[in-house]
Parts: sequence; C-alpha cells; structure tokens
Amino acid sequence: MHLRKSRRRFASLSEQFPAEDLEDLYETAPCGYVSASPEGRIVRINGTLAAWLRQSPGDLLGKSIHDILSVGGRIAVETHLAPMLRMQGYVHEIAIDLLAADGEKIPAIANAAEKRGEDGRHLFTRLTLFKAVDRRNYERSLVHARTQAEIESRSQREAAVVREQFIAVLGHDLRNPMAALAAGIRLLRKREQVSSQGEHILSEMDNSVARASGLIDNVLDLARGSLGGGLVVERDSAAPLTPVLEQVIAEITVIAPENLIETRIDIDEPVHCDRGRLAQLASNLLSNAVTHGAPNRPIRFEAVSDGGLFRLSVANAGDPIPQDARSHLFQPFFRGEARPSRNGLGLGLFIACEIAKAHDGTLEVSSTEEETRFTFKMPTGAKPPKSGQP
Amino acid sequence: MAPFRISVLRRNNVNVSGSGTRTIVFAHGFGCDQSMWEPVAKNFERDFRVVLFDYVGHGQSDLSSYSAERYSSLAGYADDVVEIGHTLGLEKAVFVGHSVSSMIGALATLKAHGMFSDLIMVGPSPRYIDDDGYRGGFSREQIDELLEFLEDNHLGWSATMAPAIMGNPNRPELSGRLENSFCNTDPQIARDFARVTFLSDNRADLASIGIRTLVLQCSNDIIAPVEVGEFMHAKLPNSDYRLLQATGHCPNLSAPEEVTAAIREFV
Repeated sequence: MHLRKSRRRFASLSEQFPAEDLEDLYETAPCGYVSASPEGRIVRINGTLAAWLRQSPGDLLGKSIHDILSVGGRIAVETHLAPMLRMQGYVHEIAIDLLAADGEKIPAIANAAEKRGEDGRHLFTRLTLFKAVDRRNYERSLVHARTQAEIESRSQREAAVVREQFIAVLGHDLRNPMAALAAGIRLLRKREQVSSQGEHILSEMDNSVARASGLIDNVLDLARGSLGGGLVVERDSAAPLTPVLEQVIAEITVIAPENLIETRIDIDEPVHCDRGRLAQLASNLLSNAVTHGAPNRPIRFEAVSDGGLFRLSVANAGDPIPQDARSHLFQPFFRGEARPSRNGLGLGLFIACEIAKAHDGTLEVSSTEEETRFTFKMPTGAKPPKSGQP
Repeated sequence: MAPFRISVLRRNNVNVSGSGTRTIVFAHGFGCDQSMWEPVAKNFERDFRVVLFDYVGHGQSDLSSYSAERYSSLAGYADDVVEIGHTLGLEKAVFVGHSVSSMIGALATLKAHGMFSDLIMVGPSPRYIDDDGYRGGFSREQIDELLEFLEDNHLGWSATMAPAIMGNPNRPELSGRLENSFCNTDPQIARDFARVTFLSDNRADLASIGIRTLVLQCSNDIIAPVEVGEFMHAKLPNSDYRLLQATGHCPNLSAPEEVTAAIREFV
C-alpha cells in the first residue's frame, strides 16, 4: 500500500521533471560508476569516470579493474577488498588511487557492493567513486601531524629522563666533596689552633656546607621523585621522634644563631613515620622561616600529638605571602622574594609537601600580618590495610 | 601457567571443530583473518579435526600480545604456529596456508619435525620483489605504494573501538558493529605485517622443506603470479603443483569447491 503510494508520487514527480532520465544520470552523474565481472573485468563504466581516467568508455570495457588502479590499490583490492566483498557483500569508504591514462594518480573514495543473483551467485561488483584530492591531502596532513607529535613527545620524554638522571648523578657526586669539606672543618676545629677570627670563618663555612648539603638532598629527592620512583619513606614507630626534632633545631640554631626559636615539643604517642624524612620536613620549614621571616623576631616551632593526630608547625613574623604566590608555594623551583644570599633552589617547600603526602598527611600555609605559619598534620597510627586486598 | 600470561589458544583465537583421526590447520594470509577459510574448512569437518586461528593483531586475536619485535619476521609467526601445534598436541597434521601463511607454515615444519606431514600452499611466494634473474611481480616502489595505501585506509578500524575489542575478548559481537568488520586489523599491525610479508625473502629456505607439499597456484593472480608458483614447485624437493582455474588471490573465497577438491585429492 505504502509502496504503491510512493511510486505514484515518484511517477508524478518524474512527469514534472522529464529532463532527469536515469540513463543520463548514470553517464554524467557527479561521481564515477564502474561494474566489474567476478573475474575483475570492466563490464560497464560511466562517462564521468572514463573522463577522469582520460579514456573513452569503449576502450576501458573488457580491461582488468587493476588497470585503472595504482599498484598499492591493486594489492589492497586483492588482499583486503575482494575478501571483504565476498564475505560481507560490500565495503564502504575505501581510500584508493585511480590511475589515469597518462599515469597521473587520482585520489578517490570508493564504496563497493557485490550484485548477486537469486541463487547467491556473484554476478558482478559495482563500485561508486568520488574524487577526494583535497580530502586526501587533509587526511595525510593530519596523519603526518599526529606522527610528528608522537615523535616530539617521545623525544621530550627521553630528554626529560636524561636531564633528571643527570641531576641525580650530579647531586650524588656532589655529596662526597661536601662531606670532605665538612670533615676538614671539623678537623681544623679539633686539632688546629685558630684565632677567634679564624673560628668565625670556620663557622661561616660550616653553615655554608650545611646549607649546600641540604640543597643537594632536595635536588636528589626531586630527581628521584620525577624519575618515577616517588619519594621513598620507610615508616615505623619504633623510636621516639622528639630527639630527632631537637637535633634539627640545634642544627638550625648553629646555622642561624641570630634567630631565636621558641620550641614546644609534646609528643606522647608513638608516631608511625620516617623520622629522617620528618626531620628533613622540619628542617626545610625552619630554613624557610629563617630565610623569609623578619630578622630578630622569634620563630615558633611546635610539634604535638593529640588523639591520633600529629601536628608540626613553624611560624615566623614578617610580611605576609602575597595571595597569588600561595598557590605556587609548593611547586618545585618556586622562589619568593628573599635576601639574595639566602636564595635557594626553591625545592624546600616542594620536598616538605612531598614528605607530607608520603605520610598520608597534609601541609598547609596560613599567612597574615601577624604571622606566616606552615602546618603539617598526619595520623599517628599505621594505616590499616586496604579492604578487599590480600 | 602464570596467571598473567594469556593462553596460546586465546592469544590466537584458535577454534577447533569437526572430528577425525587427522587434524587439518587452515592459516589465513595477509589482509584478513580466519573467516577467509570458512567456506573451505566446513567441507572438512565431517572427517577431520579442523583448526582455524588468527595471527596476533588480526581478527579476534589478543591484541595485547602483539610485539613488534617478535613479529618482525615470518619466523615469529611460525613460532606461534608451533606453539599452537604443541598446545593441541598435533602430530602428522595437514597445514594449509594461504598466501604468506604458506611460507609461515613451511618455516614451522622446520621448527617442529613431525608436527605436520603435509603442507598445502595456496598462492605462495618466497619473495614478492623482483631480483636479479627472479621475477616476484613487484618493484620496491610498488610495495611502498601499498604501505601508503594502508596508511590512508584504516579499513574499518576505529581507534575508539579498539579498547572495547581489546578489553572484551569474549565478546566478539562488539567488533561486529564496525563497518567493514571482517578483516579489521590494527592499522599499525597491518603495516608491520605488510612490511614483513612483502619484504620477505625465503627462497633459500625452500630446498630444506622436506615434507610433502602441494602448491596451489591461481590463474591471473597479481600477488603471486604463475611464474612464482612454478619457481616454488621447482625449488621444493617434495612438491606437487596444480594450477587452479580460479582467478585472483583468494580462491578459498572465490572458488571454495575447487580448492576443497584439490586439497582432498592431495591428502
């Protein structure tokens, strides 16, 4: 019923537009048509395609379909398209190069379908072709751009690895001469008679060596972190944390005797942590306070445990940290305004933050006209094993 | 077996059907997968144990098992055939290889003596590129053109579908949704396989293939011309030769009856 109605409408439309006859549509359609026998001989081809190939349709009849394809296209037809046509009856959107009589290659997009008889016998194969010169150029430039991008990102990754390995090796190799310098200073103090002026110079040297060693440790941690290993922490609660922190404060006092450090340490629970790393965190925060805090104003150091939470904070007086700088504080190589001689690499807070994360803790900053305070918090207990995991 | 190592049968999507005292293995060539052999293979199910499989990177094989290094030569593919043979405990089986699989099968017979007793090569070629005094049918430039064609055509492969296919090896219907879903191959793997296939030269191996061999040559095959089939027959020490009436490179699809009859007559 439906079909008949639409046929009637079709018939009346074709009466209205008698100029559109199907024979002409086949011959001069804005696309190429070619039909090939099961053996691949051209049995019919339209005028449009013959014109693209710069041949007359009559000359093309009986020729092999291979003769109008580039060699790559021929192999592809035999190895890919023919099997697909046999199995699913059609292939769509194949990019293929036609070969014109003068040898010019014409990029085209092809759809193909097998015409089969009622008994399923393969009668012939129909191909419909569209020229695709600009499209092919565009697609190739996309593929090219993707390939280039892949190559570049690979080489950047490789360069980054080499750079970080270099930093790691350099940092490691710098440790030995620093250790020798420190030992030399110790020996001079112990075994040699030095004037008070000499003693002053030695303690300046001692401070410089300590600061340089700290920088090297931070650089090594950065390199290790970036190389994929992450920051390694070995946590336990076997030994007390208090003496370790006291030692850090003593060291900072030696380096910066002009800064008074008001200390409150009140840890009455075992803290499941890497004590060496927490010492590094404390040392980095204290160095930061010494560098950026107002001179001759006390630094307040607190480390307390309270109901399963360990809190360590370092506060100093001085100008507050500008709002826009706060979001960058914990990024590597960020350096705020500081006295030039005190400028480090900008790794101290980054490493401290990494240590905090490695302890399932947090490191936060608050900064007002009164004080700038960094606060580290972590649970004191060992993390329970994840459920559902063996 | 270690749990993370995928089994050989899953890796190569091995399908066993039919029953019989002898086993016949059908191996697909460049450009498609095991479905190419179905019209022929089904004719052997009543008196043979029939084995079909996909090379890694093709059809429903496990793509994550693909290694550009392992499959950088036909020997890597031959190793897979041998592993499949060992897993299935094959002895004196028949190996039917289409196109490049003919040489892969030949190499497998050298690696595992006794696994196969008969080798049937359909449209074989030991070298596709012309050489001094040898006509393979192609120049190097023409093979480069083929590689370019593969670059331009992903033939139904869609990068967004790839994870779905890879992540659901037990759900082949997923790939059925793809246009041109037969013969779909990861484009990079297709290019690798094209390079390995069309740049291979196994002429020197032919003299050492001692087992009974049948060369089935198609008429008018541009991939493996008649001269190449005759060359194979002349160099293989223990071979028969038969020129099929079927034309083109895929007689297993275009003339399955003729191919079936030729194989039956030989085995």
